[in-house]
Amino acid sequence: MSARCRQTLSWWLIRAQFRSRRAATLLSMLAIALGVALGYAIHLINDAALADFARAMKSVQGDPDAVIAARDSAGSVPLATLNEIARDPAVLVVAAVIETRVRIDNARTPVTLIGLDLFSAAAVMPKLLPRQDPQAATGNILAGGIYASPALLGQLGLRAGATLTLVRGAQQWRTTIAGDLPAARPDELLLVADIAWVQEHFGPADAVSEGRVRLAPDTDLESWRSGLAQRLPAGLLVRAAEDDSARVSNLSRAYRVNLNVLALVALLTGAFLVFATQLTAVAQRSTQFALLGVLGLSPRMRLLQVLLEGLAIGAPGAMLGLALGYALAVAFTHVLGGDLGGGYFSGSAPLIVPALVPALVFLALGCLASLAGACYPAYLNRMQPLAQALKTGFAQGPAAGETARSRLPLLPLLLAPAAFALTQLPPLRELPIGGYAAIALVLVVGIASAPLLTQLVFGWLSERPLPAPQRIALQNVAQAPLMAQVAASGLIVSFALTASMVIMVSSFRVAVDHWLDHVLPAPLYLRSKATPLPQELLAALQQPDAPFARIERMANEALTIDPQRPKVALLVRELERRNPAARLPFTGPLLEPPADMPVVWISEPMAEIYRLAPGQTLQLPLLGRTVEVFIGGVWRDYARQFGAIAISRDDYLQLGGDFQPTDLALWPLPGKETAADAWLAPWSTRYGLEVADSAAIRQLSLSIFDKSFAVTYALEAAAMLIGLFGLAVTLAASVWLRARELATLGALGFDRRMLSRAVMLEGALIAVVGLLIGLACGVAIGAILTHVVNPQAFHWRMSLDIPWTAVLAGALLTLAAAVVASHYAARQATRLPVAQVLASAQ
Amino acid sequence: MLTVTDLAKRHRRARRPLFSALDFSVAAGEIVALVGESGVGKSTLLNCIAGLETADSGSIAIGPQALDIVRLDESARAALRARSIGFVFQAFHVLPTLTVAQNIGVPLLLCGIPTSEHPARTQALLDGVGLAGFGPRWPASLSGGELQRVAIARALVHRPALILADEPTGNLDPRTADEVLALLLERVREQQTSALVVTHSQHVAQCCDRTLTLTPDGLR
Repeated sequence: MSARCRQTLSWWLIRAQFRSRRAATLLSMLAIALGVALGYAIHLINDAALADFARAMKSVQGDPDAVIAARDSAGSVPLATLNEIARDPAVLVVAAVIETRVRIDNARTPVTLIGLDLFSAAAVMPKLLPRQDPQAATGNILAGGIYASPALLGQLGLRAGATLTLVRGAQQWRTTIAGDLPAARPDELLLVADIAWVQEHFGPADAVSEGRVRLAPDTDLESWRSGLAQRLPAGLLVRAAEDDSARVSNLSRAYRVNLNVLALVALLTGAFLVFATQLTAVAQRSTQFALLGVLGLSPRMRLLQVLLEGLAIGAPGAMLGLALGYALAVAFTHVLGGDLGGGYFSGSAPLIVPALVPALVFLALGCLASLAGACYPAYLNRMQPLAQALKTGFAQGPAAGETARSRLPLLPLLLAPAAFALTQLPPLRELPIGGYAAIALVLVVGIASAPLLTQLVFGWLSERPLPAPQRIALQNVAQAPLMAQVAASGLIVSFALTASMVIMVSSFRVAVDHWLDHVLPAPLYLRSKATPLPQELLAALQQPDAPFARIERMANEALTIDPQRPKVALLVRELERRNPAARLPFTGPLLEPPADMPVVWISEPMAEIYRLAPGQTLQLPLLGRTVEVFIGGVWRDYARQFGAIAISRDDYLQLGGDFQPTDLALWPLPGKETAADAWLAPWSTRYGLEVADSAAIRQLSLSIFDKSFAVTYALEAAAMLIGLFGLAVTLAASVWLRARELATLGALGFDRRMLSRAVMLEGALIAVVGLLIGLACGVAIGAILTHVVNPQAFHWRMSLDIPWTAVLAGALLTLAAAVVASHYAARQATRLPVAQVLASAQ
Repeated sequence: MLTVTDLAKRHRRARRPLFSALDFSVAAGEIVALVGESGVGKSTLLNCIAGLETADSGSIAIGPQALDIVRLDESARAALRARSIGFVFQAFHVLPTLTVAQNIGVPLLLCGIPTSEHPARTQALLDGVGLAGFGPRWPASLSGGELQRVAIARALVHRPALILADEPTGNLDPRTADEVLALLLERVREQQTSALVVTHSQHVAQCCDRTLTLTPDGLR
């Protein structure tokens, strides 16, 4: 058989298959498209967000060979240290930079102000170089002018020559816009001024935020950096530009992997639908394939033909998925931002740029999923006994054999302990690979249990006193359960995934709700975004006329413990050394600290990421030096995924820290709640402060929580639809395969209603079997997600909370939908042309 | 064109062979009827000759090259069927999702005959079986007699060495059966093809050149 003849015959058969099974083929295609689209969209968004961040970093930071910075966000790099580094012959230039956050007039959101030295900046950070406005009648950069990025000018509605006031805590600087930053990125909100002027108004004296170093071309960068790292004081670090990329990538890595696993699940359900479609197609066309075999189509070609048909579903589906993925990426970045609601990156929506290689990879994944779905049907087609299939139609293969039946319970029994063992594995490269593998295995256990349960349920019921059509239908399924198992498997997979997500999200939400109770004890909160609160306000709050019974002050800083990891939050709070549990939700015992040592309490993520435990001491890079602190306990924190350390204000002050509160917790005097709001209002307006009551913060937190799970809700819905569609398709195919049996019953006098009821009963029972196993698997997967995946990927621990009402309501709804789906199959059964079916060989 | 030598077949759990020591041949252009009681093994013998079931011993030589289908593997048997055997079934077995012309074209594709030759050969066969103009039609719109004519055209289109027909008129009314049988025999003779026709009908058997009767004791 020549290649051309083979192609022609394949094409005829593919076209015939598509023509006769339009709906099933189209939906399989759409399911594959959905999986590819989600995976590709996540890839595109993440790629764009990371590239966007890298561009932003390059724009602000330039392209230095090394950056010298303080480990503590409150710390700074002494100018003396930078001068010493500049004397190194390997160093070409050191650009000193002060980077701080200031508010413009009384705007609420602060912007970044960069103070730089014009001459060294030209060598290291050319994109930050300002352009003097020829019209502005102001001095230049050296004379105290300030330069704004075009985006900021646009946002403020100001032009060169305008005057503005920059505010940071109690410090203010009234200055004039002298020009713009022509090389700034279009969405960048940035101010640039001469370093000396910034230092004069906002500090720090004799120190800077960072030193950005350009080395001589022949310098070995790695060894220079490691040599410097050893010489630097403990409070400073040297980092490479790659560290920033790694840090940002690590920031969203677990969330990204989790979304990709969800996309993979969508792709797998797509593959399952291809499996159901192709299996029913093979079953329905068994006589045709047998005829082609008799006429001379080789067994290999019969196998290949079904695989090709799978590919013919997968390839267009995957291509559609790529287009859909691109559209989704564009839409998601505009609606949810570059982190899909994860809250990791800020700023405007990144630009989505598709690349060829990833697109080809996702195209291949879609095709592979489809081919995987077509494998078993292709194998069954290859193994059909031609003479028998030509005479009696589809033979279900060895599954119904006695030996196979006796082995049925063995597979789940073997795999269930393996799944449990996988959950006990530690994370691999900080990813819960064991947990994901255990989930896959639980699904396999569920599907492998289906034959046993199907035979038990249907076998037992078929011996009950039921009307003949029902009993015959049940006996038929018990004897030849392949199609019922396929239908049940679809429901098992889709319901297990949906139930597990509902269980995990509910457990998480309940845990967050309880946690918020603990961390929001005050009725009112006030905060200044990253800049210290004005001293004037703090002083006014101490006055007798302030309508507050109690005030707690907090300061937030950030520490770099590992340059490749996101920073760890340092929370300086008015906590009692002996009773921190009044404000922090501890998860374990609280240890008494040694009297002469400062104590810190670390969050759960901190303990897990850095493998720390209560009772240990920790060398903390704090206040420009290394401080040995005692770990007094571990507290639950769902707000800071990358770790947080709480320290009492007294310990912080004793260490020499400057406590500049950024947040306040306020308890209004009884009955003075309205007066408290009125008292705070002018301060809020004047200094751009945020005031919120605990109920609003709780609502906002939960809405952010819900937003971050928006994608998973969409996937749950898609999974359920696919499962139900699989049920409808397989039931319809099952009716078709039993056309002669049903027609015989019709000829013997059973009316349409009786036949319809029999098929609907069969569908409902298959759904019950699928839902029962799906529910068991869903609870198991929910537990794995809650107790293994969440702690290992996100360092969030919580207890399992199964929302039985929601889960059982979902099961009942699915059962109702399954009955509706089987009604579709029942209609097929009642519309069979009895005489024609009985007359034909089929 | 068909030579069966010392052929034996026993079903897996049967105590005695279904048939054994069968020897017969069908010459080029000869039409032989195979008759016998139900269950005697006519269909199994036909399946063995087609390579759909494997004989326990003996040989079955088909075509001018006398290839022994018993000794071939599954793929080679399929290739031999595609090249050298045409089939006509009682139940027609016309593919419902392909047009009449495509149905007739399937053996040409399986033989690897260049597609440029297909339209002419298909058309000639359609004319020959009295279905001129039926090429683009779907099988669902055809009567039983017309479907069997399509099956005959499909069996002959690639000019096989052997036609195996299993009750070719069993599903047709007597008048149509006569017409279809006459057509089959005429075309087979015209192409000088060997044919083995399994039938229960004495009338069909009488129309053939020779009759073989399969009994539990062997061929008569």
